[in-house]
Amino acid sequence: MSHTVLICDDAIFMRTMVGDILQQAGFEIVGEAETGVQAVEKYKQLRPDLVTMDIVMPDMGGIDAVREITKFDPGARVLMCSAMGQQALVVEAIQAGAKDFVVKPFQPSRVLEAVQRVLG
Amino acid sequence: MDSAQYAELFLTESREHVSAINHALLDLERGDGARGTDAIGAIFRSVHTIKGMSATMGYAPVAALAHELETLLDMMRRGTRTADATVMELLFTSADLLEHAIEGAVQGVPVSPEVGVMTARLKAEGKAGGDQRSSVAIQMPVDTGEWSAPAPDGAGLLVRVRLVEGTPLKGVRAFLVVQAARKLGEVAAVSPPLDELQADKFNHDFALRLHSDRSQGEVTTALRNAGDVAEVRIGEDADVATPAHTMEFSVAELAQGVAPVPAKAATVVPQQRSVRIDLRRLDTLMNLIGELVITRGRLNSLAATSEDPALVETVAQASRLVADLQDEIMTSRMVPVWQVFDRFPRLVRDAARSLDKQVEFTVEGKDVELDRSMLEEVGDPIVHLLRNAVDHGLETPQERTSKGKPATGRLLLSATRDRSAVAIRVEDDGRGIDRERVLRRARESGLVDVGKLELSDEELVRLIARAGFSTAERVTDLSGRGVGVDAVYSRVRALGGSVDIRSVKDEGTTVTLRLPLTLAIVRSLLARIGGETYALAMTHVRETVEFRPALLRTVQGREVLMLRDEVLPIVRLRTLVEFDGAPPRGLEQAIIVELSERRAALVVDALIGQQEIVVKQFDAVRDARTLFGGATILGDGAPALIIDVSSIL
Repeated sequence: MSHTVLICDDAIFMRTMVGDILQQAGFEIVGEAETGVQAVEKYKQLRPDLVTMDIVMPDMGGIDAVREITKFDPGARVLMCSAMGQQALVVEAIQAGAKDFVVKPFQPSRVLEAVQRVLG
Repeated sequence: MDSAQYAELFLTESREHVSAINHALLDLERGDGARGTDAIGAIFRSVHTIKGMSATMGYAPVAALAHELETLLDMMRRGTRTADATVMELLFTSADLLEHAIEGAVQGVPVSPEVGVMTARLKAEGKAGGDQRSSVAIQMPVDTGEWSAPAPDGAGLLVRVRLVEGTPLKGVRAFLVVQAARKLGEVAAVSPPLDELQADKFNHDFALRLHSDRSQGEVTTALRNAGDVAEVRIGEDADVATPAHTMEFSVAELAQGVAPVPAKAATVVPQQRSVRIDLRRLDTLMNLIGELVITRGRLNSLAATSEDPALVETVAQASRLVADLQDEIMTSRMVPVWQVFDRFPRLVRDAARSLDKQVEFTVEGKDVELDRSMLEEVGDPIVHLLRNAVDHGLETPQERTSKGKPATGRLLLSATRDRSAVAIRVEDDGRGIDRERVLRRARESGLVDVGKLELSDEELVRLIARAGFSTAERVTDLSGRGVGVDAVYSRVRALGGSVDIRSVKDEGTTVTLRLPLTLAIVRSLLARIGGETYALAMTHVRETVEFRPALLRTVQGREVLMLRDEVLPIVRLRTLVEFDGAPPRGLEQAIIVELSERRAALVVDALIGQQEIVVKQFDAVRDARTLFGGATILGDGAPALIIDVSSIL
């Protein structure tokens, strides 16, 4: 059975791109969220194997969302999607419970490597 | 999904963000305190999103500009830069250039050098503001490809880790490796210290002391699994540490970190079940349904001659289905007016600033919907009216104060829906149209009798709607010369709409545009002159009567039609279209057409009946005196011209 993924990003563009990369690699995209609040709600509802999480989102940022999700499910596997210049934030996200990170612009191979590490 | 589709998504979404940036900038300029902070946060988020998307698309100039803009915004969020006039101007200009760079990148045309200039300028601003993100010169060890991190003192297994060259956010990666080590046991010391590691202040290698009961192989595997690890070396090696070579350099990516973005107050986002459809698909659907409507017309006329009741019934049913389908497709093409109105606050602000005027601009009815192509067409006329209002309508603050008005002028743009039309109103509380001057100009040009002393609103509209009629004293780059209300008027008429102007001296001017909901399919009355068929939109047809000689009167030497107690001027379509064939045998027909308060009897050879027609616009209907508003193909495949009723009234 393929792994299920919840994609959280406020940009449709980014959700589409990440979704395409993962789908082509055989993952099943079970949900998308455009705010941190939605991400937490959808996590609870869908219990996906993997979450990709943008850092900068309206309505609760990605870090707080990771914190909430990990509080709900300590085993949650969250992959942070960050941009250059967000060192401190990514560290904070990892301390909040995220397992790994990828840096925009995304290269499919890097995304998939990170995903494997998170799931492995 | 191919790259073209990504580009389209990128464009759509970036445009939304640019629009959001402009709105937040206006808020920032007006607001203070908490509202200002919210605005900076919102701008930051949008710029950040654009940066991420453009970097992914490989649009380097966009990403670079967004990056530097983000730096400036970050300083504003931290409070190390204030939103003074210089910064505001910088932000507004940057927003414009960002938009330009985005459009250019997607179209694949080279961006204007201004984008690069602005990027450099923002970068300089960042330095001037003591930004820590992109411009701090740091003593950095040069990567010699050797083990450069000194071994930390103390007990425990010495573990050296080298990351892959070019690891993104290597500081964070190092942190992850240390985290992985912590899962194996106790990490006694890290070199360089953890906070320096996190800030990227290290070469590609670092070292730590680990107390663990795991085997060396297990440690190596676990650390490698943290990702981007090139090599793990375990055990004492006093000979490794070499003196670090240093050099000074600065890197934009050496961000010290960005303050967390304050999350907006939680709002409930309504979940809609929707899919995104390519706009071209909608246009194609609309064209297809247009063809189908024409075919239905032909089918109906064929069925009318048939005596097979089953065929007649089936055709009637198909007709109804086509009508339903048409409704659905029309509805799917409706978009809220804010999609175009959204850019107006910025436009009004720029216009007001360049003219040193104070304007409070309000937009109402943003959610009113209009056919997409209609909305696109009507954008320019509205821009024109808004500019006119700021330029000619609203007075300077001094002038207003001396008249006893508030220094700040009001400008309202509103959209309202009634029955089958949308009314768009531009209302200002400025000086009003100078009737005296319009009248004087009209007398000079011989457009009205020399003795005429007053102008009604109706007459006013008709005069200023004439091509080239302008009373502007100065030529400004806002309103130009000679393209005034007439341009708006002919445009709106070409769309099948009407223009109405109310103006009171020193109280203000209100221009109302009434537009049909769609411009594609119009219920029309078909009439004939000789062998030619002409169409008139039913919205302008009041009734039809037989043109009996008994109804004819002569008033002041002119032929008029006397209908009940009403005197109607007579317009002969034969004369208008310069048809010189034989006069019709039998009785002619009169179509009573009306538009606002004006009416006339349009005389035609014969009436054919009502039909839905698909309007094909002419490319340019610029001349206000053009008789025809478009053309159509009839059910039998013959073409027909569509008469623009406002041109004959």
